[in-house]
Amino acid sequence: MNTMPLNRLYSVVAVICMLVFSASPLYAEPVGQYIKIAKQGETRIPLVLRSLDVEKDKNREYGGELDSIIREGLDFTGMFTLMKSPLNIFSGGELYEAGSRQVNFPALTSVGAELYAGGVMERRGSRITMDMEVYDVLTGKQMLNKTYEGRRDNLRAIGHEFCGDLMELITGKPSIFHSRIAFVSSRGGKKEIYMSEFDGYGATQVTESGGLALTPSLSSDSSLLAYLTYVDNMPHLHIRDLSRNETVAVTRKGVKIDPAWRNGSLECATTFSFDGDQELYLVGRDGRIGRRLTRSRGIDVSPTFSPDGTKMAFVSSRHGAPQVFIKNLATGREKRLTFHGRYNTQPAWSPVGDKIAFTSMQKNGEINIFTVNADGTGLRQLTYRSRHNEAPSWSPDGSMIVFSSTRTGVKQLFVMNANGRNQRSLRLPGEQMQPSWSAFR
Amino acid sequence: MKRLLRILLVPSMLFFIGCGCCEEAVEPEVAPAPAPAPAPAPVAVAQLADVFYAFDSSVLDMSTQNQLKENAQWMMDNPEASVIIEGHCDERGTNEYNIALGERRAESAKNYLINLGVDPSRMQTVSYGEERPFDPGHDEAAWAKNRRAHFVVQ
Repeated sequence: MNTMPLNRLYSVVAVICMLVFSASPLYAEPVGQYIKIAKQGETRIPLVLRSLDVEKDKNREYGGELDSIIREGLDFTGMFTLMKSPLNIFSGGELYEAGSRQVNFPALTSVGAELYAGGVMERRGSRITMDMEVYDVLTGKQMLNKTYEGRRDNLRAIGHEFCGDLMELITGKPSIFHSRIAFVSSRGGKKEIYMSEFDGYGATQVTESGGLALTPSLSSDSSLLAYLTYVDNMPHLHIRDLSRNETVAVTRKGVKIDPAWRNGSLECATTFSFDGDQELYLVGRDGRIGRRLTRSRGIDVSPTFSPDGTKMAFVSSRHGAPQVFIKNLATGREKRLTFHGRYNTQPAWSPVGDKIAFTSMQKNGEINIFTVNADGTGLRQLTYRSRHNEAPSWSPDGSMIVFSSTRTGVKQLFVMNANGRNQRSLRLPGEQMQPSWSAFR
Repeated sequence: MKRLLRILLVPSMLFFIGCGCCEEAVEPEVAPAPAPAPAPAPVAVAQLADVFYAFDSSVLDMSTQNQLKENAQWMMDNPEASVIIEGHCDERGTNEYNIALGERRAESAKNYLINLGVDPSRMQTVSYGEERPFDPGHDEAAWAKNRRAHFVVQ
C-alpha cells in the first residue's frame, strides 16, 4: 500500500546520493606532496611503465619476467592505465645507470602520462637488483628512487615490493601487495580453509578439519585466524595464532557463527546461542568469552567493525527478515542501516572509511553486492545480472573487494574495485567461498 | 496430565490411521509378500521422518506439527533412544545467516517434542545451515526438501 511511494522516494534519494558520491574523490586527502587524486571510479592514472633496462643479453629473460610481474600487478589494482614508453624518453645520461639518466618530461607530457616508472635490472649470481624510479610527470618531481633486491627464483617478491611501494605512495594506505586472503575451498565435498596471496597465488591449506571448516576471519595484521569447524557434529570456534601455529577452541553448547576481529584489539566477535537465543559476544584471542554485545530476540549474526573498533555493523532478524544494523559500542545505541530489499546480510566495513559493503537477495533470485555509507546514504549496487555474488571483504587499503560469485556456474572468488569496476576471477581451481582479506607484513 | 496426553495423542493417532490408509492404497502395486511376522525396528526408525519449513522461517505449520507428534510418539515408545535433531536450510540466502536459521529450526522441533513430553536430555540439536542439502537441485522442489529438521537416532 504505502510501499510504492516509499520505494519511489527511496530511489530518488539513492540517485541523488550516487550523484553526490560519484563526484567525490576516493582519496581526497593528499598524502605527502606527490599524491595523485584518484577519483572514485572514472579516472585511472595514466602511467608510462618503461620495460626494465638490462645491459647484459643473458639477463634479458629475468628483465622480461620482472616486467610482466610488475605490469600484471599494477593492472590488478585497477588504478592505472598502463602506457608504452615514448622513444625519446631520456634526454641524456647513462642508460644503464638509473641515477644519471635524464627523463624527458615534455615527451611524457605529450603522450598524456601523469606518472613515469622505470628502472635498471642487474644480476650477480643468484641475486637480482632492480633500481626503480618513479616521477610525477606534471611537476617533474621524483616520487621514488629505490633499489630492490632478491633471489632470481623469487622475482615475484621483488616486483611486488615495488608495486606495493608505488601503491602506498598513491593511496597512503597499506597496499594489497602486502596482504593475504583466507577463504573456504570445497574439494571432494569437503570444505577446508586456505590462505593465498592477494591474487590467489600460492594457496595453501591451513585447516585439517576432516570435512567442514567455515567462515575464516583474519585479524587486521593477518596474525590471528578465527574460524569454525564441525567436530563430532558440533560447530566449534577456533582461534589460531598463525605465527606460533597454536589453536584454541571454544566448545560451549550451541551454535557459533561467523567470527570477525575488532580493529585495534585482540578480540573477535561471534554469535553464541548457549544462553538460549543467538546473540553476539566478544571473545579474546585466548578463547575467553567476554562482553555480550546484543540483546534482542531472534538472529544476531555476522559482525564487522568500524576502522577504529568503536562501532559494529551486524545482521539481525529482530524485525522479521534479516537486515543490517549498526551498534555504537560506547553508547550502546543501535540503528538500522539497510531499508531496501527484504534480505540484507553479510556486512563488511571498509578498513579505511565509512563505507559498508553488504549483500542483498533480490526478487529475481539474484544476490548482489552493494555499498552504503555508515549513515545510510550513498547506496550503490556493485554487481549486476551475475547470479549469486556474496561474502564481500575489503582489501586493507579499501580500494578493492574480494567476493564469491556463481556467474560461471561454480562458486569462485572474484575481485573488483571499490566502485564495482574491473571484476575478474582469481582463477583458483575448484569451488571457493567466504574470503577474508587482510594486510600481511 | 493424562487428559493433556490424550488430547495430544488423539489427533496424532488419527493422523497415523490416515497414513495407514495411504500406504494401503499404495500397497497393491507392490508385490504382495506374505509377511506374517512384523519387523519392528525398520518401521520404527522410518517414523522419525524429517519435518519441513517455509523459506526464512522456523515456524511449525500443521503438517510439521503432525509429523512431530508421530516422532514424539516414537520417542515415547522407544524410551532408550536418543536423537540428534539437525537443522538444515535451502541454498538461498547466505551461509552464515542460514546456520543461525538452521539452529532455530532444530530448536523449534525440539521444543515441540519437549511440550509433548519427550525428555529434553534425550535430544541434542545441531545446525548445518545450507552445508548438507538433502537434494542438490536448484529449484523450489529441491529447496522445499532441504528446509528441514532431520532426526538421527543414536
